[in-house]
Amino acid sequence: MITVALSKGRLFDDFIKYLEEKNLDKYSGVLKEKSRTLYTTSGNVRFIFAKGPDVPVYVERSVADIGIVGSDTLEEDAFSYLNVSELPFGQCHFALAGPPNIERFETIASKYINIARKFFNDEQQAVSLIHLNGSVELAPILGLADGIVDIVQTGSTLRDNGLIEYQKILDVQARLIANKQTFYTKEDDIYEFLSEIGVIE
Amino acid sequence: MSANQLILKRTALGTTYLDLLDRSGFTLVDMNMIEPFYIDDKNHHPTSIVFERDSTMYAIRSDWTRTLLNFNNNYYSNETKFGYFGPVVREHESFYQAGVEIYKVGNQDIINTLLMHIQFVENSTEDTIKTFVINNDQLLDLFVYKYKLSENIRTLVYSKNISELRRVLGTDHDLYKIISAKVSEQYGMIQHLFGDTEIMQLIERVKDVIKSQNKEMKFILDLSFRSPQKYYNGLYFQAFLNANSPVLSGGQYNSSAFGIGLNLSDGGLL
Repeated sequence: MITVALSKGRLFDDFIKYLEEKNLDKYSGVLKEKSRTLYTTSGNVRFIFAKGPDVPVYVERSVADIGIVGSDTLEEDAFSYLNVSELPFGQCHFALAGPPNIERFETIASKYINIARKFFNDEQQAVSLIHLNGSVELAPILGLADGIVDIVQTGSTLRDNGLIEYQKILDVQARLIANKQTFYTKEDDIYEFLSEIGVIE
Repeated sequence: MSANQLILKRTALGTTYLDLLDRSGFTLVDMNMIEPFYIDDKNHHPTSIVFERDSTMYAIRSDWTRTLLNFNNNYYSNETKFGYFGPVVREHESFYQAGVEIYKVGNQDIINTLLMHIQFVENSTEDTIKTFVINNDQLLDLFVYKYKLSENIRTLVYSKNISELRRVLGTDHDLYKIISAKVSEQYGMIQHLFGDTEIMQLIERVKDVIKSQNKEMKFILDLSFRSPQKYYNGLYFQAFLNANSPVLSGGQYNSSAFGIGLNLSDGGLL
C-alpha cells in the first residue's frame, strides 16, 4: 500500500481530469465520490487530501510516499523530497501586479513572501514586504501596499480588482514529489503508480 | 511500550553495542557536549547550535563524527577506531547517537565493520535488513566526464527530476535510462558502464558480502541517493528494517575515514 497526498482545490480537480484522460477510472472514480472523509482508497493506493502547503510536509515526514502539489508551494518553502516530475496540469505563474501607473514599488503584499523576497533581491530593488494569508488583491485597494506578488492563472481576478500585471516572475505547474526513503522501501508499488499515471514510460 | 521501558531499552541497547565495540578493538569515547566551533563548519553542520563566550565560538555537539574529528585534530592519538553512544542536539531537538568512526580505513575494514553492524541489528531485533541503499557521488563524476554533461545535471539527478532530465538529455541517453529505471535495476546498468572502476568494484564487494549473509535483502544503488550529512565524499549507505527511517547509515569522508551511525530513536532499533 502506498499513500498519495493530494492538494485540495483546483489542482485536485485537474488531477481527476488528468486521470480520466488516461482512463484510470479506478482512481478518478473514488476521488470524485462526494464525501467529507479526508482519505480514500483504491486498490493498493490510499489518497489523502491536504492543504497544498501540507503536502510536502506529509511527504518529507514519510506519512505520504508521493505528493501531488503545485510548484508554487515547493518554491516558497524548503523541504526534503525527491522532485520527481512535472505534471501536465495546474499551469499558471507568479506575477508582480498592482494598480496602473505605478512607477516604483515600495511596499508589496504577498502570501508567498520568500518568492517575493527572492524576486526583489534578484532585481536589486529595496521594498517592504507584508505577509498576507489570502485575498492579497485587497492590499493595494485599501492602501496597505502598492503592489502584490501572487499567482495569476487567467488574470480575471486582477482585472476584476482594477489591477494589472507588471512582470511575470515564475512559471508554476503541478509536480509529483516522493519521499526519500520509501522510494526505496516501497519501490515496486511506487513505480507501478508512476507508470500508471504516465510519469515514467 | 511505556516511557520507562523506552529509556531502559535504549540504554540496554547502547550498553550492549558499546560492549560489542569494546570486544572488537574500538576505543570508546565520551566527551563534553560543548565543543569549539569554527564557522566554516556551519556549511557541513547547518543544524548545529552555535554560540560565543569570551571571544570564542562554541557549538553544542550535533554530530559525533565532527566531535571525533575535532578531538583527533587537536590531540595526538595512535588510535584509529572509535566508538560512541551519547546525546546530540540538532536545531531544537536532542536525541541519542551511537556509532563508530575509523581513520586510515581500508576496504576490508569497511566491509568488516558493515557486517558487524548488520549482524548486531539483526541479532538485536530478530529481524533482517530488508533494504540496503548505497551510492558514491564520484559515480556521477564519471557520467559527467564520459558524456561531457553540464554541471547543472547534478541538481537534476540529486532531486531525481525525471521530467527535466528527459527534456535535457532525451529518452535514449544512458543517464536518463538509469534515473528513470526502477532503482533496484540501476546497479546492473551502472555496473555495465563503469564496472571496471575502483568505485564500482568496492560497491560490488559490499554487495557480494552482505548478500551472502542475507540473500533476501534488496540491494539498491541509486545515483540520486544522497546523505543528509554533507561531509561524506565517497561511498555512503543506509540500511532499513521495516520502518521508513534507516537503522544504519554511514560512509566515507576526508578521503581515509569511515563512519557508521546506529539509529536508536524511540528507544529501539527502527
